[in-house]
Amino acid sequence: MPNRRSPALLSAFILAAALIGCAAPGASGPTQVAAAEAEEANNSDPWENTNRDIFAFNQAVDRNVLVPVAEAYRTVLPDPLRTVVHNFLRNLDGPVIFANDVLQAQPKLATDTFLRFLVNTTLGFGGLIDLATPSGIRYHSNDLGITLAVWGLPEGGYLVLPVLGPSSPRDTAGKVGDGFADPANIVAGNHHLFYATVARAGTDGIDERSRNIETLADIEKTSLDFYATIRSLYRQRRAAQIRHEQTNLPNVTPLGGGDSPPAMTYTFTK
Amino acid sequence: MMARIPRSAAPIGAFVLVFSLMLALPRGVAAQDPNAFITNLGTQAIQVMGPSMPAPQRLARFRELLRDYFDVNGIGQFVLGRYWRTATPQEQQEFLRLFQEYVAQAYSGRLGEYAGEPFRVVGNRPNGDEIIVSSQVVRSGGNPIQIDWYVVNQGGKPKIADVYVAGVSMKVTQRDEFASIIQRDGGKIDGLLNRLRQKTAAH
Repeated sequence: MPNRRSPALLSAFILAAALIGCAAPGASGPTQVAAAEAEEANNSDPWENTNRDIFAFNQAVDRNVLVPVAEAYRTVLPDPLRTVVHNFLRNLDGPVIFANDVLQAQPKLATDTFLRFLVNTTLGFGGLIDLATPSGIRYHSNDLGITLAVWGLPEGGYLVLPVLGPSSPRDTAGKVGDGFADPANIVAGNHHLFYATVARAGTDGIDERSRNIETLADIEKTSLDFYATIRSLYRQRRAAQIRHEQTNLPNVTPLGGGDSPPAMTYTFTK
Repeated sequence: MMARIPRSAAPIGAFVLVFSLMLALPRGVAAQDPNAFITNLGTQAIQVMGPSMPAPQRLARFRELLRDYFDVNGIGQFVLGRYWRTATPQEQQEFLRLFQEYVAQAYSGRLGEYAGEPFRVVGNRPNGDEIIVSSQVVRSGGNPIQIDWYVVNQGGKPKIADVYVAGVSMKVTQRDEFASIIQRDGGKIDGLLNRLRQKTAAH
C-alpha cells in the first residue's frame, strides 16, 4: 500500500508545490499548462474513497445536528448579540494569529493583529466590541497550517476529518499545534477547566456554521458533485491564504476557525 | 484515485497551442471602459435579482445577462478541460448548451437571495490579454469581499471569462468538479452530460 501511494503522494506534492508557486490567477499563455496541472493537483486525492465516506458521515451530522443547532442559535440570539460572541471569539484567536504572522515574517500583518488585539481587548471590553475594524485595521486570520506551507511543507494530500471537514495532513498538524499554543487554552488547562476549551471550540463552530448556512446549502443544491466542489474550494482558498492574497476569505468548512463572511457564492445575506 | 500526470509532451503541447489560439485575442478590451462594463453588469444584476421579481422571470433575465456579459462558451471549454479534446463535436455542443443552462439556473437561484448589498468597482489592472476589474461588496458589519472580474475581448465586445471571489476562481472550481466526475466515470463525459441534463431538467 504505502509503496503504491508514495508516487501519487510525491506527484501530489510536486503538483501542489507547482499549484502554490505558479497558480497566479488569470495568467495566460504558457501558464495554461500550469492551469492544467493545477486541476490535477486540486483533484489529487489518494484517500478519496475514505474521504468520501467521512464526508457523507459529516453531511449526516451536519444535517441532523449542526444546522439545527446553528439555526436555533440564530433564533435564540439576536444579531447584535451574535456579533458580540463572534467578536469575542475572534479576539481570542489574536495571539495565535500574531504568532503565525511573525513566524511567516509578515510585519504589517503582525502589527495589524497586535493593534487589533490591543484595541479590542482594552477599549472593546475584552474583545466584545470590534473597534479596530471601523478604525481601519482589517481582520485577517492566520494559522499554523499556513505557516508550515510558507515554510515549504507540502500539503500531504486531501483529508476529510470527521465533523471538522476538509483539511490536509499539514493543516491538521497546524490545527493541533495552534490548539496547544493558544494562551486561552493554556490558561484553561492550567486551571483544569478543560470544558472551557471544548465550549469555546463548540461555540466557535456553531458561530461559524450559523454564518454560512445558506451559502453552503446553495453550493450543495447546485453541485453535481458536492464533495469535489468542497475539495476544490478548500484548496483554492488555502492557496490564496498562503499567497497572502486575501485577508478575508470564505470559510467552507462547517466547523473550525477562520474568518466569517460566507463569501463564496453570490448570496449576500447576513 | 491516484493522481495522473500527463506523461507525453504532445497532449500538453496541443493543449497549450489550443489555449494560445483561444487567447490570441486582439487587444482593445481597454477601448471600452472595463470599469463601466462591470458597473453596468452590477446595476442590471441588482435590478434583476431583487426579491420582488418572480423566479421564472429572474431566470430568463439572468440567461440574457449571462449571454450578454459572459464568455460562456470559452468558460465552458475551459471547464471541460482536457476532456474537451476527446469529446465529439456533438458532445461538445451539447455540453455547452447544458452548461450554459446549468450556470443560469445555479446562479440565478443564488442571486435571488441577494439582499441588496451593492458592490462598487474599485479599479482595474491589465493581465496579459485580460483586464482584471476589481470590485468590492461592502457587507454590513464585516470586511468587504473582493470580487475580481476577468474581462476579455471577444470580437470587439468585452466578455467576462472568470470571476474570483476572495481568491477563489469560479471557473477553476467548476472545472475541478466536472473533472472529478469524468475521472470517476473512467474518462467518459456521458455521466456528466446525464447529470447536467437531470439538474437542468427541473426547470
